Amino acid sequence: MRRTLQTSRVRLGVAKILFLVIFLVVGGRAFQLQVLQGDKLMRLGQRQHLKEWTVLPRRGAVVDRTGEPLALSLEAQSVYARPQRLQNPGRAGRDLARILKINPAELKRKLSSVKSFVWIKRQISPGEVRQIQALNIEGIGMFYEPRRYYPQGQLAGQVIGFVGRDSEGLEGLELRYNDSLRGETGSSVAERDALGRRVLVEGVEGLQIPPGGDIHLTLDTTLQHLAEKELEVSITKYRAKAGVAIAVEPRTGEILALANYPTFNPNNYSKESPEQRRNRAVTDSFEPGSTFKAILAAAALEEGIVDKEDLFFCEEGKYRYAGRIIHDTHPHGWLPFHKILQVSSNIGFTKVADKLNKERFFKYIEKFGFGQVTGIDMTGEVSGLLRRPETWAGIDLATHAFGQGLSVTPLQMAMAYAAIANGGFLMRPYVVKRAIGPKGEVLMENQPHVVRRVISEKTARSLASMLKEVTNEGGTGTMASVEGFEVAGKTGTAQKVDLVNGGYDAKKRVASFVGFAPADDPRLVLMVLVDEPQANVYGGVVAAPIFQNITRGALRHLGIAAKTPALIPAPAADTEIPLRRLPKRNSQTLVDAGAAPDFVGLSLREAVEKARNLNLRVKIHGNGYVVKQSPGPGGRWHDNGVLVLNLQG
Amino acid sequence: MKTRTANAVSMNPRRVAPAKAERPDRRGRVKGRRHLLGLCTMGFCLFILGLVHVWLRLQVVHMGYVLSTTAKLQGRLEQENRELKVELATLTSPDRLEAMARKRLGLMPPEKGQVIILP
Repeated sequence: MRRTLQTSRVRLGVAKILFLVIFLVVGGRAFQLQVLQGDKLMRLGQRQHLKEWTVLPRRGAVVDRTGEPLALSLEAQSVYARPQRLQNPGRAGRDLARILKINPAELKRKLSSVKSFVWIKRQISPGEVRQIQALNIEGIGMFYEPRRYYPQGQLAGQVIGFVGRDSEGLEGLELRYNDSLRGETGSSVAERDALGRRVLVEGVEGLQIPPGGDIHLTLDTTLQHLAEKELEVSITKYRAKAGVAIAVEPRTGEILALANYPTFNPNNYSKESPEQRRNRAVTDSFEPGSTFKAILAAAALEEGIVDKEDLFFCEEGKYRYAGRIIHDTHPHGWLPFHKILQVSSNIGFTKVADKLNKERFFKYIEKFGFGQVTGIDMTGEVSGLLRRPETWAGIDLATHAFGQGLSVTPLQMAMAYAAIANGGFLMRPYVVKRAIGPKGEVLMENQPHVVRRVISEKTARSLASMLKEVTNEGGTGTMASVEGFEVAGKTGTAQKVDLVNGGYDAKKRVASFVGFAPADDPRLVLMVLVDEPQANVYGGVVAAPIFQNITRGALRHLGIAAKTPALIPAPAADTEIPLRRLPKRNSQTLVDAGAAPDFVGLSLREAVEKARNLNLRVKIHGNGYVVKQSPGPGGRWHDNGVLVLNLQG
Repeated sequence: MKTRTANAVSMNPRRVAPAKAERPDRRGRVKGRRHLLGLCTMGFCLFILGLVHVWLRLQVVHMGYVLSTTAKLQGRLEQENRELKVELATLTSPDRLEAMARKRLGLMPPEKGQVIILP
């Protein structure tokens, strides 16, 4: 019994020691793993089941004033290779070259590289992705990258600019508003399973990286297209080097269209030349030529130096001033001031400038914004070249009077005419209306900004009425007139400086037209400039028709009704039309005073036209074609003398 | 029966001692049973709690998978939506529409007086 008891005690003791040793070993191991190697092992473990997922920045969109997208971002896949892992580089190279349409020799060189990673092609199309996935080649992989698309192609290409492969703006509004558009790059750490799949056990908050904001432009896609198309047609016709068209809303300074030629497609920015990428409206300056005469006219009227009807002798086309001979294109004798502007007499304006003097003239040149940047929200704007009056030679007053000896940007000229159009206020132009954040919050908003009052409203109205004559019969800008509207504007034909030999080039010219419409209630200021036209060089022939075509389409698009009777729109249904008696009637329109004429079958427009020609009062019901009339055809008139037409269809 | 019990008791030295000591009274035994019952209940609760924890953990992982799949689907749909926007904008660009209107439909810009602007 005692022996059994002792044996049990020994066993218990051994068990105790055994358990103690096991505990110490386990405890020691635990200490080693948890304390001594804890951090390292934790990192190793996390590396196995946690993975950092990069969230690509999502760049905001660029849309026009109606919400039409001009720039959007997508995620595109880029193909890479790990040359060391390729089993059969030759075959892989042939297959990839065929799918991606790249040079097989160059691809072979890449795949034979000793590097561990090489890009094959960046940002490929979804079709190419599917074909490469189908190949399933070990060592070839794909990676998502953001890609910028410009769905309208070349439309406003120079204005919008473009982004690089890293989604950073490089030119245009993409660069100017990069901070608003860019969006944030982020990453989130999430668990992954044995197959490498992401398991979002911590929720999706980590993935919520805010995208970039959208920017809303003042540009109107339709007007922009119209301006680009008309510019291209005329530049091709006159074999010109380049051209610019700028449409501005004169009361606010909003840029409605800004067209450049040659055009630039930001989708292929790497293939386009810097010449095409340049936004000439703000980066290039030109001698303005006769369009600048309106600035002198404004200064002279504002200072009370001249009146519209003041007479000037235009020396029959040849005038000696400050030791030089000044010529007019056509000789003129005595002309009132408004006629001098209408025929664009250099001699007349030299005399006006002489009366005004150079200091006062220069004051207005500066007040109109020349020689300084307009402050438009675009990159690369230049201020033009303006010399102070102290440095002017005697002839400079005359040359400045007809727009030579200084350089201005097309945008500066457009804004100066906008000041004349809106009653005398120089506005700051802008092309971005607002930037909207991802939650709909307004990040930035441009409001109309008056830089200064330049001239009084009276002067502006007086000058506008003078500029109207330029597009009327006898003026230099008749080809800029638009049927049904009164147009105010000025032509310009400037010589270009010969940069090699000095002085002016004998052949190179800049043709321009700048004006606004409707003249009495301007809704649109348009500046058109054509650089080095070959077939014809005159602003009134080359630039004025572009102005006419763009303005005609723009006024129609803006819904501005014509003023003259020929374009009065058809009356709405159920309205009584008072028609005045015409002084003459031709034989065809004469009707029997006792019998009503036949209107049945005529369209609304034809019926109104016929009634107008016959001096009849009509009352219209419905739309379409006349199906019934009262009194009927040939019937007797009612006492009130009104012809009632019922239309259908 | 009594003899066997006595033998069993005598073989275990630990149980011999209490047998020699004063026997616990009835209240003490009841108290001991209650303690045991409490411990068992606690153990059972801990066991159930453990099961619930494991079940919840499985649910979290399952929901993580669902969330991951849904997030991926959302991303794909958003990408598709953006692709469609690009396609729509490309197809409705003024340049393309004008070319189609002229070539396919034979349309021309309206002539003088053909446009009615409603008041």
